[in-house]
Amino acid sequence: MGFRQNIIPYIASILIALCAVILAFTGSLGMAFAAIVLAVLTFMTTRKLLQKLAAANAQTYFLDEKLVQSQKLASIGELSAGIGHEINNPLAIISQETEWMQHLLKRIGESPSKEVTELQDSLKEVLRQVDRCREITQNLLDFARRKEPVFQEVNVNKLIDDLSRLVEKEVIQHNIAIRRDFQQDLPLVQTDAPSLRQVVLNLLNNATYAVQKDGKIRIATKSSENGSVDIIVEDTGCGIPKDYLTKIFDPFFTTKPEGKGTGLGLSICHGIVDKLGGRISVRSEVGKGSTFVVTLPINQQKGMTPS
Amino acid sequence: MSAKPRVLIVDDEERFRTTMAKLLTVNGLEVTAVGSGKAALEELKAKPYDVITLDIRMPEMSGLEALAEIKKVNPGIEVIILTGHASVDTAVEIMKLGGYEYLLKPTSTEELMNKIDAAYERKLNREQKMRKGGS
Repeated sequence: MGFRQNIIPYIASILIALCAVILAFTGSLGMAFAAIVLAVLTFMTTRKLLQKLAAANAQTYFLDEKLVQSQKLASIGELSAGIGHEINNPLAIISQETEWMQHLLKRIGESPSKEVTELQDSLKEVLRQVDRCREITQNLLDFARRKEPVFQEVNVNKLIDDLSRLVEKEVIQHNIAIRRDFQQDLPLVQTDAPSLRQVVLNLLNNATYAVQKDGKIRIATKSSENGSVDIIVEDTGCGIPKDYLTKIFDPFFTTKPEGKGTGLGLSICHGIVDKLGGRISVRSEVGKGSTFVVTLPINQQKGMTPS
Repeated sequence: MSAKPRVLIVDDEERFRTTMAKLLTVNGLEVTAVGSGKAALEELKAKPYDVITLDIRMPEMSGLEALAEIKKVNPGIEVIILTGHASVDTAVEIMKLGGYEYLLKPTSTEELMNKIDAAYERKLNREQKMRKGGS
């Protein structure tokens, strides 16, 4: 609540209390007592109403923000799919021409000159870059894909446990420990398992990238009374600067060096979680780590009440 | 039955189909390339083929329309869709129409060769089963 809203109940009850004092001085003790009771009631009721108003405002703001983000993602998605498709065809030709040149160079002989070797090396590099472009266009297409989720009851703990063990095999060599804090009686969640897997894997990969080595990743689950479950991915990595926190779900926003990321991972996660009827949030501190929380409704029909 | 698969490439992008034809030929396949679905249907009337690689986005007759027509003319032929325009809906449609495989451009010759070999093997197995069933 703002300062102005905060002082309204105080002013109202002080005014009524003043009336009570005046009434007491004039000898109307009964009226004065009634005024004091009224002052207390006014204070409590006004404060409660203002709190509800503030919560409703916050919810409206949250929904507006969510709508803007969804619309932004949808329009960028359409554009991205178009670009992805159009780029794939010329990429295919570049790839084939390069392979043909490699074939022709092989015909030159068993012991090629230094120039030919250099040329072969350059062609290999062209193919590597084609692969890189292919990965980008694939990400663009994934981002744009209008895949409708298929809701089934999913054991979220099991899904996350399987994924975390898969990631653990890779990160253990970098001395990164994965800790699992699952709520044992977590209810089954009506959601789309493959989509959720994609989100969790992306978050785990990001956490791994943020930690680099010698750190910890904690993955946890818990249910809330408002009909939702939280999936929490916490890392002791480099953290995200405050200025970036509002942008990290935007398409093409990345803090990774060139060639290491397309900046679509978290946008895709945001889009998926949105389709699953949930929300994704982040808090982070530079040098200490980040925490991503995916909140999903347990029951698709009932949804979840705002927390 | 020929020892190496006879492959028909159908793609409206001339440079793509000619270079692909050259690459598959040097890998030991018998290859013909045409630029449209209609030309593919004409070619199928003139000569037998084992495997077709088919683009989706083509003028006049789309790859999906061509696939449906090809399967009418020759249901036993294996068709690999090779396209830059992927979508889940298209993939489902391709499978419904009897397409064998779905590859997204750009793809390496090695990957395409593997798919062609697998498609050819499937065709041979099916024909063998049919002969056994008939005898």
